[in-house]
Amino acid sequence: MFVLSFLTRRLAQGAVIIFLVSLLIFTLLRVVPGDPVRLMAGGMAPEALIEQIATQMGLRDPIPVQFGRYMVRVVQGDLGQSFVRPANGASTGGATFNDTTRGERAKVLDLIFDALPMTLQLAALALLFALVFSSLLGIAAGLHPGGIADKLAFTVSSVFVSLPNFWLGIVLALLLSVKLGWLPAIGYGGFSYTVLPALVLAVELSPVLIRTLSGAVAAQMSESYVAVGHVRGLSPSRIVAAHALRNASVPLLNLLGVQFSSLLGGVIIVEYIFDYPGLGLLTINAVLQRDFPLIQGIAIVTSAIFVLINILVDLAATSIDPRLEY
Amino acid sequence: MSALDATLVAQPLRVDVAASRSIGRRILSHAGRSTEFRIGFALFTLLALAAAFYPELSGIDPLKMNVRARLLPPLFVGETWSWAHPLGTDQIGRDMLVRSLVGLRYSFLIGVASVAVTLLIGCALGTIAGYFGGRTDTVVMRITDAQLSIPMIILAIAVLGVSRPTIPAIILVLGLSNWPVYARVMRSMVMAERGREYVRAAQVSGATHPRIILTLLVPLLVPPLLFTSVLDVARMMIFESTLGFLGLGVQPPTPTFGNIIADGRKYLLNAWWIATMPGVFLCLTLTSINLIGAAFERARNTIHGGA
Repeated sequence: MFVLSFLTRRLAQGAVIIFLVSLLIFTLLRVVPGDPVRLMAGGMAPEALIEQIATQMGLRDPIPVQFGRYMVRVVQGDLGQSFVRPANGASTGGATFNDTTRGERAKVLDLIFDALPMTLQLAALALLFALVFSSLLGIAAGLHPGGIADKLAFTVSSVFVSLPNFWLGIVLALLLSVKLGWLPAIGYGGFSYTVLPALVLAVELSPVLIRTLSGAVAAQMSESYVAVGHVRGLSPSRIVAAHALRNASVPLLNLLGVQFSSLLGGVIIVEYIFDYPGLGLLTINAVLQRDFPLIQGIAIVTSAIFVLINILVDLAATSIDPRLEY
Repeated sequence: MSALDATLVAQPLRVDVAASRSIGRRILSHAGRSTEFRIGFALFTLLALAAAFYPELSGIDPLKMNVRARLLPPLFVGETWSWAHPLGTDQIGRDMLVRSLVGLRYSFLIGVASVAVTLLIGCALGTIAGYFGGRTDTVVMRITDAQLSIPMIILAIAVLGVSRPTIPAIILVLGLSNWPVYARVMRSMVMAERGREYVRAAQVSGATHPRIILTLLVPLLVPPLLFTSVLDVARMMIFESTLGFLGLGVQPPTPTFGNIIADGRKYLLNAWWIATMPGVFLCLTLTSINLIGAAFERARNTIHGGA
């Protein structure tokens, strides 16, 4: 029952947030200069034709009218069609305005859901790498504050946080792929193509995880229940694994929810460097082609994912630690 | 008698001197004692001096082409290296060291300026929300939530990609991307102070709200926040160079880390140093700033925890 009321409240808040996000991105895209119709029709199209296409597509209506029309469709599950991408996958950027070979334009929703599984695979592998690495280092550091592991964790996280992901991506591609030939780097042709981008993302994610985890473990180890555990005759490994880590994982979970948007930022850059066909590459191309419906669709879908992840994180946190309130 | 008086008077005074120094000074002196702060500060000073003076002193123009000296490798690599170009040259013979240092200037200035914008917006909104509470608070906090849930890089790429990326536009976009964090911290600190006696006394004696905020709360609460914002300078510098890498940052021919690396990527196989050398510089700068920032943060936590 509590769960139900919690869910309805959070989903309602989430709907408000998604609405605000779409309003913001919709307005921004229309306020900043740059005419998408010019790109769609090609540089040689006469001015009159551009105005005609723009009026037909409703791009000359007042912004509130356009936004209302867009939101009505979004609520019905229709994110519109891409401005420039045809359904058959070929690129139309720079084609002439009277090109008859141009086919039906692709649906935004299809484009996003084609790219999303690829990005999820990349993000999941990156999270796995980051979690394994930072739990090893973070827990060791948290068990002995001020010790060698703590110093190592501090240095590693200071260096990792200072590595720009695009530069690291290039250097790793040069070393592991070009010089050593261990891993493939560019494009996608199987699972092994995910490893290198995931490594770069993991390096970007781990500093915050290490610091949070070592801080949380250190805080839990000074709690009285740990001392009582020794008195009760529990082995130190059992106290750490079954008691302290369980409590220390709550801040980590909350962090993962908040880190989602920085993970997504990293995904965009990493996919761009490695030409990995996911949501990030789609975003960059959409922006460079001024593909307004696609940019809006991506913003809405990602903020919806963000809202959902944070609800899940809170649910998981309360099931780990029942003292937390919904 | 007089000796007794002197000790009686001197004793409380001595205690006061230690505790009455401002929090900012205490954090600074506490952080200054740690090793990582010293390493970071030394590295940062070195890089800052190099960036400030080397481009002018060496007399090398970062934009001047020299086709005869193109694609020279850095020191001790290959056979054609020279002392004139310690980090080698790029595909049209521009000196990589000067270009990296000029890039460092832009990157650092944009980083600091955008953190200033962030602080200004975040502290202003957070203070207003925390001080007035009620409906103002709700509205400001909902805006913060909404902003936190948009991946800011999408917004930044969208805005800068669709319009022209000029330096003020970049600073504004970067500054707008991070303010919710500061707004939240500032709000909770102001809420805690709002109920204290000195604020209520000022209210009772007829001080206006802006006066209380500007003369009592801001000078007390903002300086500790400045120490945490050092880490954000590094974050903003990464963000700036990422935008530059995507072609959405400061535009060529002005050298910045991002556009040098993006450019050098095309020559990765025959001239690896073009893409990697600026990255080493960027990485050293960021490490130094992060070490300083982390030392500040630790010192702040110790002092706030202890006091």
